[in-house]
Amino acid sequence: MIRKEDVAQRLLLHAPLAVAALADFLRDGVENAGASGLVLGLSGGVDSALAAALATRALGTERVHAYYLPYKSSDPRSAIDAAAVAANFGLALRTIDITPQIDAYFDAHEPDADRVRRGNKMARERMTVLYDQSRRHGALVLGTSNKSEILLGYTTVFGDNASALNPIGDLYKQQVWQLARHLGVPEQVASKRPSADLWPGQLSENELGFDYPTADEVLYLLFDQGLSGEEVIDRGYPAPVVEKIVRLERNNRYKRRLMLLARLSSSAINLDREMPRD
Amino acid sequence: MLAFRIAMTVKSERRSKIKVGLAQIDSRLADLEHNLGHHLEWIANARAEGVELLLFPELSLTGYRLLHLTPRVALNPSQSPIIAALREAAPEMAVVVGCVEEDELGALYNSALLLAGGEITHVHRKLYLPTYGIFQEGRFFSEGRRLGMAKLFGNPFGVLICEDFWHSDPAERLARQGAKLIGVISASPGRVGPGPMPPSQEAWESLTRASALLNTSWVVYCGRVGWEEGTFYTGGSHIVRPGGELLARAPYLEEQLLTAEIDLREVDRLRWRLPILADERSDIEGPE
Repeated sequence: MIRKEDVAQRLLLHAPLAVAALADFLRDGVENAGASGLVLGLSGGVDSALAAALATRALGTERVHAYYLPYKSSDPRSAIDAAAVAANFGLALRTIDITPQIDAYFDAHEPDADRVRRGNKMARERMTVLYDQSRRHGALVLGTSNKSEILLGYTTVFGDNASALNPIGDLYKQQVWQLARHLGVPEQVASKRPSADLWPGQLSENELGFDYPTADEVLYLLFDQGLSGEEVIDRGYPAPVVEKIVRLERNNRYKRRLMLLARLSSSAINLDREMPRD
Repeated sequence: MLAFRIAMTVKSERRSKIKVGLAQIDSRLADLEHNLGHHLEWIANARAEGVELLLFPELSLTGYRLLHLTPRVALNPSQSPIIAALREAAPEMAVVVGCVEEDELGALYNSALLLAGGEITHVHRKLYLPTYGIFQEGRFFSEGRRLGMAKLFGNPFGVLICEDFWHSDPAERLARQGAKLIGVISASPGRVGPGPMPPSQEAWESLTRASALLNTSWVVYCGRVGWEEGTFYTGGSHIVRPGGELLARAPYLEEQLLTAEIDLREVDRLRWRLPILADERSDIEGPE
C-alpha cells in the first residue's frame, strides 16, 4: 500500500536521464516530420521555459523559434520573465502583440463576453500565431502543457493544449519544476506561482482551489495508481479537494482525445485503422 | 562452393569461445529498406570487431509499434529478398534479426530468425504476446506454438523474444535441453524513475540475472533505442555470466555495438559446482 508520505518521493525523476530521453524525443520528432526545427510560445512561466530548455538541448538555438505573445492586460512581469528565459537559453525572442485581433472580435461582435471567453480566445489566438509561424519556418509547434493541467482540463482546447510534439505532457507540475531547475531555468521563473495570465492577478491555484503539489499527488494516486477517490481520501488528502479533482479529471477527458469521428464503416480512422504517425 | 564450405564450418565446428555482439540500434517504423541498410552497416561494424554471434533487437527490421501496418511489412523469410541480402551479408557470422513473419497460411508472427552460413538455420516465433497496458501484440500477431533449439557453432542455443522471458518456463526448458547460452531480443518501452537506471531496465536485469543463476547459463539481452509515437526504448543491452554476474552493459538511449567474448565452458564449470539443473525434479506432487 502506498502511503501519503511516500508519494512525493515516487514523483522524483532522474533528471539527466529524463532530459536525455526528452531531448531525443524532440530530435526524433523533428527529423521524422522532415521539419526544420521547433516553434514555441514563451509565456514567462515554467512550463514553456522547460520546453525551451529541452528544445535547445535537442536542436541548439538556431532551430528553435521563440515568441512572446502578450495581450494588453498581460502582467508586465511575464515579458521580463519570457525575455529572461530566452536570454538564458540563447534564443532570439520575437514579440507579437495579439491585442488588436482580440479586441477587434470582441469590440465588434461580443462586447459583453466574460473574462473566461476572452482568455480562451487569447489562448487560441496565440496558437494560430504559432501555427502560422511554424508554417513560415517549416518547423513544428512545441507543446507546453503538463500532465497535471491536461488531466485537470486546465487548458484551452485548440489553444494552449495544441501542439505537434509535447515533451512535458507526461510530467506532473512538480516534475516540471524539478527538471526546470536541473536545466537552469531562471529561479524567478522556476519559483513563481503558476498563472495562465489571461487576466490581471489570475493564479492557477486560486482558480483551481488547491495547490499543485497536492493535486499532483492526488492525480498520481488516481490516474497512475488507479485508486478510487475514497482510497485517496483514506490516505489523508482533504475530501473536498479529492472530490473536485476526481470530477475535473472525469469531465475533461474529452480534451485529451480531440478527434471524435462518428463511425459508420468498418474502417474508421483511429478506431478501426490505427496507423502510427511515425 | 565457398559458401558451402563456410556453411559446413559454421555448422560442424563445435567450440566454446564465442565473440558475441549486441547491435543496440534504432529502427525506422515500417521502413524495411531503410532498416535493411542499417542492419548491413551494423553487420559490417560487427565484422570489423570480429563478432561471431550478432543479435539485433525484436522486430529490428520493421520497428515495433506497427499496429495496422503489421501486415504491410510481413515477409516470408525463405523468399524475402531482404532476408536473402542479410543471409549473404554475413555467411561467416551467426546473426539474429527480428521481423514480421508470414507463414504459408497467412498467419503473422513476431519472429526471430537465426541466419548462419548463408541460410536461415532457426526461426523462433514469439510465444507470449503481451496484450495489456501499451502492448497490443495479441491483436496483430499469432502466438508461436513451438519452442525450438537453435545451433550455434555446434552448441545448443536458445533464442527468445521479450515477453517470452517474463515467463520462466521457456528459458528453463531451453537450459534443461542443453542450452548454455540464451539470447533474448527485445523492444522494451522505457520509463524514467528516480534512479540512474530506468525502472524498466531494473526489471530486465533482475530477470536476466535470475535466469543466468537459476538456469546456470549465459544470458545475453539485446534491446533497442529510439522513439516511436511517444514511447522510447531504453537500450541497456547486457551480457550476464552463468551465475548471474553482469559482464557488460551498453549505455541507455544510444545506439551501440556491445561486444564480449564468452566461454561456454564457464557453464560447465558452474554446473559442476552448482548442479541445480541436474537436480531438477518432475515427480513432486501437489499442492492440490
